[in-house]
Formats: sequence, structure tokens, C-alpha cells
Amino acid sequence: MKHKKRLAIAGVAMAATLTLIGCGTPAGPSQEGEIVGREISWLLSRPADGGIITVVKEIADEYAETHPGFALNLVTTPDRPSYLQKLETLAAADQLPEFFDTDATPFTRKLVDQGKLVDVEALLKDLDIYDDFRPLALDYQRFDDGSLYMVPFEFEMEFFWYNTALFEQAGVTVPETLDDFADLCGPLRDAGVIPFALDGQDGWPLARYMSYQPFRLAGPDYLNELKRAEVELSDEVGTHASEWLAELGSSGCFAEGFSSQGYTDARDLFTSGQAAVYQIGTWELAALTSPDLPEGVKGNIDFFTLPTVEGAVTADNDYTVVSGIGMGISQKAFDPLVEDFLKFLLSEYSDRIVETGHMSPIAGSDVVIPEGASELYARALAEVDNLGDETAFPWDTQLDPTTNSRLQQDLVLLVQGEITPEQFTKTIDATLAENAPKFFD
Amino acid sequence: MLPHRSRLSVLVFLLPPLALYVIAVLFPILQSLVLSFFQWDGITDMEFVGIDNYIRMLTRDDIFWKAFGNALVYLAVCLFFQLGVSLFVANLLTYVGRGKEVVKTLLLLPAIISTVAISFLFQEIYSFEPSGLINQILEFVGLGNLATPWLSNVDTVLVAVSAPEGWRFLGLYMLILYAAILAVPKELEEAARLDGASSWRVFTEIRFPYIRPVWITTMIMATTYSLRGFDIPYLLTNGGPGQSSELLTTYMFKTAFRSTDFGYASTISVFIVVECIVAVGLIFLLLRRRSDVTS
Repeated sequence: MKHKKRLAIAGVAMAATLTLIGCGTPAGPSQEGEIVGREISWLLSRPADGGIITVVKEIADEYAETHPGFALNLVTTPDRPSYLQKLETLAAADQLPEFFDTDATPFTRKLVDQGKLVDVEALLKDLDIYDDFRPLALDYQRFDDGSLYMVPFEFEMEFFWYNTALFEQAGVTVPETLDDFADLCGPLRDAGVIPFALDGQDGWPLARYMSYQPFRLAGPDYLNELKRAEVELSDEVGTHASEWLAELGSSGCFAEGFSSQGYTDARDLFTSGQAAVYQIGTWELAALTSPDLPEGVKGNIDFFTLPTVEGAVTADNDYTVVSGIGMGISQKAFDPLVEDFLKFLLSEYSDRIVETGHMSPIAGSDVVIPEGASELYARALAEVDNLGDETAFPWDTQLDPTTNSRLQQDLVLLVQGEITPEQFTKTIDATLAENAPKFFD
Repeated sequence: MLPHRSRLSVLVFLLPPLALYVIAVLFPILQSLVLSFFQWDGITDMEFVGIDNYIRMLTRDDIFWKAFGNALVYLAVCLFFQLGVSLFVANLLTYVGRGKEVVKTLLLLPAIISTVAISFLFQEIYSFEPSGLINQILEFVGLGNLATPWLSNVDTVLVAVSAPEGWRFLGLYMLILYAAILAVPKELEEAARLDGASSWRVFTEIRFPYIRPVWITTMIMATTYSLRGFDIPYLLTNGGPGQSSELLTTYMFKTAFRSTDFGYASTISVFIVVECIVAVGLIFLLLRRRSDVTS
């Protein structure tokens, strides 16, 4: 028994050691030559039964019919932290598969600097499809120097969805500015309603709230400077944002115990009529316009976009627009087959993804509204025609990972009133000073 | 001096496990030790930073100290269940006639349930909105004002994530201690009882001194396992809210795989190794000294 255990441990240790052995030299892109069918892999972090995987699988099967020997192996790990762990281990072992999901994070930047990713901008231009993409979809995937190394497969806008009946019941109206948010919470609480549904377990939704005030007050450059520790969060903008969040917390805007509520818990609070406002992207439209919503909620959902603030430097129609986690292409595994398949995939993808009720990052295909969905579905998607030029980038894809973890953890404490805005900004500044130089030197 | 054949047997039987131990345990520890003097993100070149990681850990990292404090509380809660409650139950079982096997099986059951399932179970038990088992019971007995979101409240979360781990292995340690108590010579106990000793005296004067070596082994096992505890806190709260339930192990894991700071994570892992060795040393020292005094 002991031996078995030791053997197992030895196995794990050796595997870990092998995977941690250094990196090789990346090969140049080989776009010339014959297309030879083989199995290629795509390491994803998307829902296993979601529209994207279904559509990609369908297209890959068709490609395989005309290319003997070709197969696309889709390996998905929807849980993002587990996925990132896999990706980092594979990257460290220089074993990245042909395709892999990643955001334009500081870690991905390091991979790019090591020559491990294919230049997607050049590739899309070569494939003559670059201009077909929605500019905001590509911008979301870009690093802050403007370079592009990931292909987007989604295009979603983030709104505040609210329950008109509950607003009426509490006698409140849609807030005109972000600073009006806290005023909603008292009357809504008095009406027995949780003002804002929030998934506190995942960290990123609260980090979105943190990003709003700085985006409105100082524009998108603020984040670029902050992540390099060139500005301090304890400055006027950061302090205002922190105080605003602390006020939301002390005004009872979020459910008690929100930090242990997960993604679906928050959604359920809103769709069951227990919460009045829910911040989420258009990817949840199907759930928000479903004919199965309970009475009192059905027909009473509307939305508003990110409110402005006094002295805002960004336009009202600039807010968070995301094209989801992107797909990187391994430079080492890039060959004529990979390029040819990608060309086929992108030429077929757009028309099919819109049939699942989702927008495509490639413009030109109209979304097919699911049967039975309320009029809200089309109305929400129509906002795509009113979008501005700037995007409020999610902070979790931009900050160095250590600061990001600390920010997400301490935001919970800030909103719960365990730490003051001053303590919060001081801690984040210290974390940035320690960690930002490791990624942005 | 062993005869030739015996020496050969010793070599044949001892060398392979020893080699495995060196490869699987000593080598990674040494590797961590080396790595702890470097800054390394897994993809770029390693950079030698001397003892900077240790200085950072001991002087500049507030999360580390918070996690260390949390780990000690976690240890205390686990030991309460695994040494205290399990000893109590094991002792109690010796007085039970019927249904002994059922109780043993039921108590042992959590040890074989997957950690993920246990985490889900406790997520429901601790839930506040909708009200979970604990809050429902509090409501039922009229203590509704004590109801709280156990996993979101910074004052309760640490004990809340520690208790499932303690509860989980309670049955296992109970079984070990129960077996030890069974081995206590019956005639000694009977003689004591004939002299009018109470059950408490039988336990403190005869049973416990007799099972002390087993109890020390159990304590070492429980302590080292608890110091390495990771999965339930990680799954239940991921160290949150804030760092309220962050343990050294979860912090090390995040440092390695989220912050991709393998050098610093190795520094924390070296600390965990040292901490385990010190803990075992302390147990030996304290208990040996006490047995020296009593004998």
C-alpha cells in the first residue's frame, strides 16, 4: 500500500517536473506547403453545451469530410481558474495545442514576447477577413500597444437589467448617474427587494463595478496607467470609485452573503423577482427573455446602459463591450492545415452562430431571435448600432494576476465594510508597486 | 552483522522504496528549496534573487501572516474534532452494546465521500439565502437572530471551512483510537472497577495512559494532514471573503498557478515543510517531557 502511494506520488511529481521543464525555440509560421490532414486540438474555456462549441464542432465535421485524417479535438474547462492553471502548465512545458483560449492578459503578453503566438492581425489580413470583424470585437482582444494575437468568437454588450414592476413598487426610477445608485437601495430594501443581484463568488462582477467610475471620470487610459503603477488608486479617481463601492455596500445594495453566491445564484435572484437590478452581458438574453419566467418578472424586464457621472470624459454610449475570451494560435503548431481550417471556420462561423441567438464578432449576419423570446431580445441587441468607440475594459484581464486576485478579494471586504476605502486603495497600491514591474517592465 | 542473504534481502526490499522516496519526496522538496531563491514565472528565464523571497514573505506580505494565523486556527478546529471528539466517541463506543457497527460505519462514511461532494453539502448547510440547515435549526429553536451567512461573515467563515475537514476524518481517527482502547487489558480495568474507580478514573488512569503512544501517532497524523489541508477551504470559499479563510496551502497554490510566481510559491512551500517538521518536533518534545514527568 505504502509503495503504491509512493509510486503514485512519484508519478505525479515526475509528471509535474516534466511539464515544468523549460521552453524550446518557437518555429516560424509555415503557411506554405501541402495541407496534410491530422488531429488538431483546441483547449477552450467555454460552456461545453454552448453555442460556440456546437457550431465549431459542426464546422469541423464538415471540414473533416473533405480533408481525410483531419479531426478537431475540443477540450473544454469552463471553470476559468482551473483552465488557466492548465494553460500555464502547458505553456511552461512548451506544449501549447494548436488553438487555446486566452485573454489579452499580462501572462499572454509574455507568451507573445516569447514568440509563441501567431500574429492574428497579420493572419486575418492575409485571409482577407480582417475588415469584416467589428472593430470593437478586435479591440477587446488587443494588447494596449494595439497588437492583436487572439481571434474573437463572441460579441456581447453589458447592461444593467432591471425589473420595472419592482422599481415602480419602490417608487424609484432609472438612475441618471452612477452616483444615484446608492439612492435606489433604501427604497428597494423598504419594498422587501434585494437591490442588486451580484455574483460575489467569482470576483469579476464586483471588479466590473470597480471599473465604472474610473472609466467615466478618467477614460480608458486610466487602467493602462494604473496597471503599470504609473497612477495610484489612492488618487482622486480611485478614491471616489472606492468610496462609491463602500457606499453601495453600506446602503445594503447587495444581498447579505453575496460573497458566497455564485453566477447562477445571482441570475436566479433576478429572474425569480427577488432582486431589482442585475448587471450582465447580452449572453444571458435567452434567460432574461424566456417565456418560462415567473409572472411578475415576465414582461417587466428592461435595461439601461452604464450611467454617466458628473464631469464624465467618456460618452454615454461607451461602456463594457466584450468579445469574450479569445483564441490564440500556437506559432509552433501553425502549419498550412491549421491556417486552412481557420479560414474555413471563420468563413462559416458567423452565419451559424447568429442562428443560436448570439451576435457574431464578424459584422453582417443578423441574429435569429429564439422562438418565444420577448421583444426585449431584439431591442437589447439593437443597441449594437448605437455603440461608441471606447470600451470600458474589464480590469481582470488587464491587471497583473497578483494585483487582480488581491483587488477581487479586498473589494468584497470593502463592500462588506470590513475595510475602509483608504485601506483598500493603500493595499492595492502597495500590491501594484510590488507586482506590476514583474509584468510591465 | 547480518548474514549475506539477509543483507541482500534488506537491499532488495528497502532500496526501491527508498529510491522512490528520494525521487518523489526529497527531490521535490530540494527542488522547491532551490526554486525559492529565484523569481520564475514558468515561461521566461529564472532570475536569482537570493533571499528576497524570504524577506518578502516574512516582512512585506500581510496575506502570508494572515494565512499562517488562519492555518493555526484551522489546525485547532481539525484537532478538536479529530483528537478530542473522536477520542470521546471511541471511548463511548466501548460502552455501547448494540448498533456499534452501524455507528462506526456512519462515522467513517464521510472519509470516503469525495471532497467536492462534501463541499457542495456544506455550501447548502451554511447557506443563508435560501436558509440552509444550520440557519433553519437556529430559527426553529428560537435563535433566529444568530442566523448568519456563515461563509460570507468574516468572523465565522474560518471555523465554518475548518469544521467539515475535522468532521470528515473524525471516523477514521475514532476507529484507530477505538482499536487502541480495545487493546487495553480488561483485567486492569476490572480490577480498578472492583476498587471502586469511576468510568472517568478508568479512562484517565488506565485507558488514556495505555493508548498514549497511539494517541501521539494520531496527533502527528492529524496535525500534518491539517497543516496541509487545502481542498475543502479552496472549494467552499476560495480563501474569501477577502483573506478570511485563506490558508498557507491555498495561498501557495494561488501564488503558483494564478500569479505564476513559482519562486515565491516555493518559498511558501518551504515554510510549510518547516512548519510541519517543527510541529511534529514540538509534539514529541512536549509529550515525551510530560510522560517523563508522570513516569
